[in-house]
Amino acid sequence: MPDLVWRSVTELARMIATKEVSPVEVVRAFLERVTALDGKLRAFITVCGDAALDAARAAEADLAAGRAVGPLHGVPYGAKDLYNTRGVRTTGGSKILADFVPADDATVVSRLRAAGAIVLGKLNMHEFAYGPEGLNAHYGDAMNPWDGGAHRVAGGSSSGSGVAVAAALAPAALGSDTGGSIRIPASLCGISGLKPTYGRVSRAGVLPLAWSMDHAGPMARMVADCALMLGAMAGYDPADPTTSVLPVPDYTAALTGEVKGLRVGLLRAHFTDVAAPEVRDAVLAAAKALERAGAVVDEVNLAEVARVAAASFAIVPAEALAYHAEWLRTRRADYQPDVRERLMLGAFVTGLQYVRGQQARQLLRQEVDGALERRDVLLAPATPIPAPRLGEKEATLGDGPSDVRSALLRFTRPFNLSGHPACSVACGFTTGGLPIGMQLVGRPFDEATVLRAADAYQRATDWHTRHPVLA
Amino acid sequence: MLPPMEISLDTLKRMSRLAGFDWSDAELEAIRPAVARTLDLLARLEQVPLANVEPTTQYRVL
Repeated sequence: MPDLVWRSVTELARMIATKEVSPVEVVRAFLERVTALDGKLRAFITVCGDAALDAARAAEADLAAGRAVGPLHGVPYGAKDLYNTRGVRTTGGSKILADFVPADDATVVSRLRAAGAIVLGKLNMHEFAYGPEGLNAHYGDAMNPWDGGAHRVAGGSSSGSGVAVAAALAPAALGSDTGGSIRIPASLCGISGLKPTYGRVSRAGVLPLAWSMDHAGPMARMVADCALMLGAMAGYDPADPTTSVLPVPDYTAALTGEVKGLRVGLLRAHFTDVAAPEVRDAVLAAAKALERAGAVVDEVNLAEVARVAAASFAIVPAEALAYHAEWLRTRRADYQPDVRERLMLGAFVTGLQYVRGQQARQLLRQEVDGALERRDVLLAPATPIPAPRLGEKEATLGDGPSDVRSALLRFTRPFNLSGHPACSVACGFTTGGLPIGMQLVGRPFDEATVLRAADAYQRATDWHTRHPVLA
Repeated sequence: MLPPMEISLDTLKRMSRLAGFDWSDAELEAIRPAVARTLDLLARLEQVPLANVEPTTQYRVL
């Protein structure tokens, strides 16, 4: 079946369940594509070929025997290489953990396994998830598949997840998001990515960057696939004390395609108005598309966003240093230089500054909550620029020049601080053929509405159906 | 508020030692500009009236 790798997770799950296709055939198709393309794309750090095929054969046997199966039975996916996987090395994209083989799965990996999903391999990332470009000095930089010359970054830190899904090396992936690390690569690679509410998905068994900012979430081309995966991943976990006991709704059932009367707040100042012109125009067009579908769009401003960078610098380096302190005493030379520098900065943040960051965060959270009192979702670009070239240092935004790193984080980081759910979805392409992403932000634990709006947008547009041309 | 302080190598050495790190002069010199930029950024938080704001952690007990 030649187009098997471009099928959605939802389609593959249905085709496998109805025996239209064998899980072995599906896994083999993706492994062949990885073999053919990943030498250049570098989406994977570890390919679990034999184990994936064994799991696929077991899945096939379950179906043949008529045993009950989960909603993702036989569907392969890739996990960012900071999710612990039992018996499979979990490097965090680092040299330091190059030989670390966990004894147990992360809770999320375990839940996806229980739902029938198969780990195809472990995906590339910015070392220890500390960078929005998705660069890796140890395993090579994952390459954005939308640039045939392989000269553009994929976005990070979940770079391999973005590339693998965009290039159909895997139908879906797990990412993690501390400042935008799911939504940035989703935006730059033209796919969908959901950062759930903080507390919705367990972080147990996921290597931390900053405990109070880290979120685990799904990435796929279709929003409906993210919904399907989230349903399997979410829920209380005694191994993660920050997870909520709120029941997990049926996210797939929430995808009605209906947005009539949905109240959408378009974030203009600090967001849409300062994006690059092509990004701004695409997001404004997306707002119009939602309006045509029946949504009620107004404009809203989040003034506290001006303090987001300061609050984030007070919190993330300090929390990250706490995890990395011992290695920064004994193995500094084993970090890639940019990550080492960012981690060392944590030593110069005082306790007072850390608490000031947490206080500023409270103001932002209250402001986002306030904006969502009379609206169902907020709309903004996911990133102010499309994929930058490798080595590009400066970007021009609507309010002046910015270093590329700050620019990539600028629109996503507020919602890591506030903890609100946010979904990035493709909303256009530049004249140069690079994807543009927008994000929809919802009320805490209301992923269902965020996903419904994003899915309805995909039903009304075809950006997500475009594929990069790969040799 | 005090005027901005020059971030000298000696300052970095003392601060990093206080935090429990014995980093070399070369390593500290390499990050000195980034530390200065970060501290400038963090100083902005002192201009925000935060004294009566309860600091959040992420945890929403639900």
